[in-house]
Amino acid sequence: MRKALATRILLYVLWLSGIGTGIVIILDYENASGSSSNAPGHWISGTSIPLDPVRDTLIMFAHPRCPCTRASIEELNRLLAESNGRIAAHVFFFRPPNYPADWSHTELWRNVEAIPGVTVQDDVNDTIARRFGAETSGYVLLYNPKGQLLFRGGITASRGHAGDNLGESAIISLAMGGSAAVTQTPVYGCSLLDESNCQRTIAP
Amino acid sequence: MISSATQNTPGVVAVSSRITELFNEQWQNIIRHTDYLFSRLMVFQWFFAVALALWFSPRTWSGMNSRIHPHVWFAIFLGGIITSLPVYMARKFPGEALTRHTVAVGQMLMSALLIHLTGGRIETHFHVFGSLAILAFYRDWPILVSATIVVYVDHLLRGFFWPQSVYGVLHASIWRSFEHAGWVLFEVVFLIISIRKSHSEMMLVAQRQAQLEELNGSIEQTVAERTAELTRENAERRKSQAQLAQAQQIARLGSWEWDIGNNRVIWSDETRRLYGWLPEQNGLTMEMCLERIHPDDLQYVKEIMAESFRSGRPFTCDHRIVLPDGSQRFVSARGEVEFNEFGGPVKMVGTAQDMTDLKQTEQALRRSEDRLMQSQKMEAVGRLAGGVAHDFNNILTVIGGYCAMSLQTLDKSDPLQKNITEIQNASERAASLTRQLLAFSRKQVLQPRVLQMNEVVQNMEKMLRRLIGEDIELSTVFDVALGRVKADPGQLEQVIMNLAVNARDAMPRGGKLTISTSNVVIGHELKFRNRTLDVGEYVVLAITDNGVGMTEEVKAHLFEPFFTTKGLGKGTGLGLATCYGIVSQSGGDIHVYSEPNCGTTFKIYLPRTDASLEPGMIAATSDMPAGSESILIVEDDPAVRRLAVVILRNCGYKIQESNNAFEALEVIRRNPNFDLVLSDVIMPQMSGKELSDRLRMQCPQTRILLMSGYTDDALAHHGVLDEGLLFLEKPFSPARLAAKVREILDTPGPSAVESSRMYGTSLVPA
Repeated sequence: MRKALATRILLYVLWLSGIGTGIVIILDYENASGSSSNAPGHWISGTSIPLDPVRDTLIMFAHPRCPCTRASIEELNRLLAESNGRIAAHVFFFRPPNYPADWSHTELWRNVEAIPGVTVQDDVNDTIARRFGAETSGYVLLYNPKGQLLFRGGITASRGHAGDNLGESAIISLAMGGSAAVTQTPVYGCSLLDESNCQRTIAP
Repeated sequence: MISSATQNTPGVVAVSSRITELFNEQWQNIIRHTDYLFSRLMVFQWFFAVALALWFSPRTWSGMNSRIHPHVWFAIFLGGIITSLPVYMARKFPGEALTRHTVAVGQMLMSALLIHLTGGRIETHFHVFGSLAILAFYRDWPILVSATIVVYVDHLLRGFFWPQSVYGVLHASIWRSFEHAGWVLFEVVFLIISIRKSHSEMMLVAQRQAQLEELNGSIEQTVAERTAELTRENAERRKSQAQLAQAQQIARLGSWEWDIGNNRVIWSDETRRLYGWLPEQNGLTMEMCLERIHPDDLQYVKEIMAESFRSGRPFTCDHRIVLPDGSQRFVSARGEVEFNEFGGPVKMVGTAQDMTDLKQTEQALRRSEDRLMQSQKMEAVGRLAGGVAHDFNNILTVIGGYCAMSLQTLDKSDPLQKNITEIQNASERAASLTRQLLAFSRKQVLQPRVLQMNEVVQNMEKMLRRLIGEDIELSTVFDVALGRVKADPGQLEQVIMNLAVNARDAMPRGGKLTISTSNVVIGHELKFRNRTLDVGEYVVLAITDNGVGMTEEVKAHLFEPFFTTKGLGKGTGLGLATCYGIVSQSGGDIHVYSEPNCGTTFKIYLPRTDASLEPGMIAATSDMPAGSESILIVEDDPAVRRLAVVILRNCGYKIQESNNAFEALEVIRRNPNFDLVLSDVIMPQMSGKELSDRLRMQCPQTRILLMSGYTDDALAHHGVLDEGLLFLEKPFSPARLAAKVREILDTPGPSAVESSRMYGTSLVPA
């Protein structure tokens, strides 16, 4: 009887420990942001991206096959919907050099294309991303019509997790002409670079 | 509304307890069923989580490189861990409270995992609410509390450590966790309400079921009591039926019932046995039943039954039935017709009693009575014969004696010769008739001697041929080396004659009668009827006819006294009984071999003896041997006494006479030198036998010759003459008396006894 009780207790201890450990690991992973370089504080001219003279211009860099980016695109959709057209959005999907266009034209591409007013382009070999310091999929930058950087970072609360988050709130606020509690947020997503992925960026 | 008094009764307490029991039983079944449901659901969810991870985030990328997404590993391992213990508990310990709480916790954790794997999609959050609804299947509200606590703690901890991942802000108030848990609690509250309502309904069902069970129990108890009562009644009825059947069997009294409308007769076992029906024949028509009745009795039975129909009165009818094997039984039947309200006959019920034994007993009794009458008749004849023989033989002795003496004195040419000869012949026929009367009534005296059977038969051949008639051929087959036997030749002749007469009667249209003799050796005891023939050598006399033969039943009674197949008055029934008695007295036995229509053989076994032949009866002679010895004649009949005195004086003897035994004793006392005392047997006051016994004591040297026409067992036991007695049968001729006296006087000492018995002592009818 006592042995059965002890066994049962042991089972529950092991079970709870396993679950606890798993949760800790999963939360740690969930909240581990990716890396990014310093973004240019002012609009880089000479790119193929036109700076909107009236509205704020948002550019997002995404990996076309990163499952974590799905949440970022959902939040982008929501963000743009809530901004009432005050943001001109451009999304660049990473495409390795010498790869056909089909490689980047994934479901994410099509999801972005479905968002009204968003321009979708390939970013072959991360050419543009490098210039804007983007290293992690889901990285978003917001420039005002004057070309000044208003926000940089991710628009998800954690990795691949849709829902309210600081980045989204800040962009909407800025686009609406207000101020933002934060102008930089962690980015959660796959690495656009080969050497690593999904690494935490050191906040500036 | 149940009153308090009623509530306290044991029945109500039992029902209440049963309601609780049924409620708990049903609830436990639901819990176990739900445990089983979750044990499968959680496994399914686990697989679903893995599939979901593989679908939504199969790989994670780094530029152009990819690897398996950690979500896949989370789904596999964390999902597996979450699923393992609840499934184990549900399978191993279904029904336990801890099991369902574990299931609730695991289910909520699985919701969290799925939400995470789907990127926090709001749609996936419905899994939480769905899980709560499914957990409500347990109808145990505390597990909803456990589930709610898990949800709350999840949000509390995540809000504390990673607030942005839950609330999208860097810093969240603790109340935000209550907000999320509140929605869960909202559902839980209504689920609890639903559970309580469900419990009420379950209780109601339990109440109804308990009441139904109580009702069923009451009905079953009543049924059981009735069944037991019915079983007991059936057993008693079967016992009564068995007793009735046994009583009917013992009484040989069966019952029957005739359904007149359907013309169907049913009967009891005893009736069936009585009439020789088979068990499957029960229910025959009355016409078929009547076929068993003896044809001679059938009309009578029908008339009796018809009269009962007319009069409505019970009937009694004794009749015979003929069984399939041909045997007959006597049945006493009783019956009674039952009528309906319109006076029409409905059925006839009755009994049938086997009276066969009674009838047979009555017949046997009648036969015994007949035999008794016959026996009494024979006894009367015997007494008459004996009574007549004594005096009649005295008279015949006188008549015959004086006739003989007259014929000796008369000249041959004297005309009286013929007359006197006729008188003498009549006297001899009368003597012969007297002997036959004595033999017929078995009052004769047996005097066995060693003889040769072949000679006996040869001496009888002429007489037998006359006896059996010309239609029957007589042949004899003699064994030339035939041994000797010791028997009374006269009685042996009587046996042969009786058997020859029977053979003649068995061949009314003629046939063949064979008499043969042979020696046989019996090596082992031969049992025939009630007699056992000892081992030894025997002489067999076989008398065979080819007549009608006999049945086994006749053979079984063949030697019984007064048994006869010749009809009353035609046969005495004593012939074979006498034969059997004579042969048995001689130490032998009679065996019978017979078959109907084939004939009969009687085999007479007599013990063989090595003794020498004894001479036969001396031939009748007219010589009168003389002598001078002194003789005392004791005779109460003066005529006989005078005749004897004349005969013996004429022969030269010195004679003294007495008319009774006392006087003779006185004479002898005065003169004890008599050579011979010739004494009558039957005399008043003292018989000749007593006189003989006294003289043997007083004068051992004096010879005594007894004479009598009928001794009435005075000189014989079982018909055989006592040893040491000299006897002369009346009536005797003068020559025979003279010869007998001379023979005795000439025989010295004891040898005189033996030799004297060889002469003139046969009582065989002439």
